[in-house]
Amino acid sequence: MNLWGSGARLACVQTIVSMCALAASLSVSSQALANGTVAGTNIDNVATATFDLPGGGTSTISSNTITLKVDELLDVTVVSADPGDVVTSPAATNQLLKFTVTNAGNGNESFALTAVDTGGGDDFDPSVTSVVIDSNGNNAYDAGIDTVYVAGANEPNLTPDTSVTIFILSTIPGGAGNGNRGRVDLSATAMTGSGSPGTSFAGLGQGGGAAVVGATGAQAGDDGYYAISAATLSLVKSAAVTDQFSGNQQIPGATITYTLVASAAGSGSVANVQVSDPVPAGTTYKLNSLTLDGGALTDATDGDAGRLNSNAIAVSLGSVAAGSSHTITFQVLID
Amino acid sequence: MRSFLACIALFAPAAAMAAPDVTIDSTAFVERTIQDTSGKAKIVLEAPKVVTPGDRVIFVLTYRNGGSQPATGFVINNPLPAAVSYEGSEGAQPIVSVDGGKSWGALAALKIAQPDGSTRPATSADVTHLRWTFAAIAPGQTGKLSFRGVVK
Repeated sequence: MNLWGSGARLACVQTIVSMCALAASLSVSSQALANGTVAGTNIDNVATATFDLPGGGTSTISSNTITLKVDELLDVTVVSADPGDVVTSPAATNQLLKFTVTNAGNGNESFALTAVDTGGGDDFDPSVTSVVIDSNGNNAYDAGIDTVYVAGANEPNLTPDTSVTIFILSTIPGGAGNGNRGRVDLSATAMTGSGSPGTSFAGLGQGGGAAVVGATGAQAGDDGYYAISAATLSLVKSAAVTDQFSGNQQIPGATITYTLVASAAGSGSVANVQVSDPVPAGTTYKLNSLTLDGGALTDATDGDAGRLNSNAIAVSLGSVAAGSSHTITFQVLID
Repeated sequence: MRSFLACIALFAPAAAMAAPDVTIDSTAFVERTIQDTSGKAKIVLEAPKVVTPGDRVIFVLTYRNGGSQPATGFVINNPLPAAVSYEGSEGAQPIVSVDGGKSWGALAALKIAQPDGSTRPATSADVTHLRWTFAAIAPGQTGKLSFRGVVK
């Protein structure tokens, strides 16, 4: 019987589910923008006046009608749709950044996309391998299904107030070091024209009027970052025996206290850390002996981080930042 | 048509001849921000043919009684164009409607029904119609009314 055996197990699961939920909420929020009157609409103003006639009754007259045509306003916004730096590793391929491009103007417009991976202010230059349009609108990158963007061929066309998700796929240089960040900028430019706000393109607007550059300059960009995170988790297990005669003999009835120390090293953090450890054969778990960082945990599956499940202890540590550690203890009795 | 006119001439000759000759003229200006020669931003008014969302438009109504009789009970109604969000009026303040002209009052006194059955105070963006009322416009009298809105 190996009472010292380390059956402890670590599970590090990236929180993909929560990231997807965030992305979904972003795509919905773009609907809240209100960019107003569709290009080509006429605004007609006419006033009427009524007054009494001397002989009784009233008369109503109308003013002339003044008509203003609503021109197309060219506006666009680009925002990074990643919740933070995208964690990656050196030499990784097809690493995804996500952006939301929104037609903030009032006419249908196509937007040219440009991804720049050589900007400064970062530690390494990712190598952009493709820019992909989320053509099925599901907010997730589907290789072979979503359309690869080709400049001059398939610029996304957006109706007013609508958005499209753009994915950037990059290869991370092999020499990128731990904790380094690499930036990619995505910009979108209205195909009709761009420039300083107020610049007018006669006859090019939807509805036959002019297209006028709006406050965004009809060009917008945002940046997304990759971050090399080499946070590693280690788990060290130790045991101490106390027998019923105040000695340290491994005899039936003696108590073994196991101590598990989970430590994260490197940079960044390790997400969703779960520690589990089966109760060794030939021993019986001492009820409610589980502790985390000195605090007692119940055996039930409830609000606290610990539980006893299928004769194994399990503790959820959540995100463990590099440089921090957590200590778990539990006790068993030798049968 | 001719017989209709003849009827008016026959039965109401005095009214027809003495009716106040009132006209009303509508114009619009747009506020544009330009840079003057020293590079400072300056707001100018232009007579626009075209506007874009966000432009601030000033509508001016000019009324004139060109007849020899006062026009009494003089009321000017201006339905707000659907694409314009009301911002306010200069000079003579109109009463407003926020329900398509069914009820009228000062903006502060009006309420908007909510889907849940409650009400909220109306805001200038809710305004659908403007109305100015005058007891009488004397012969030869002219006046200007103006209001501002933003193109939605």
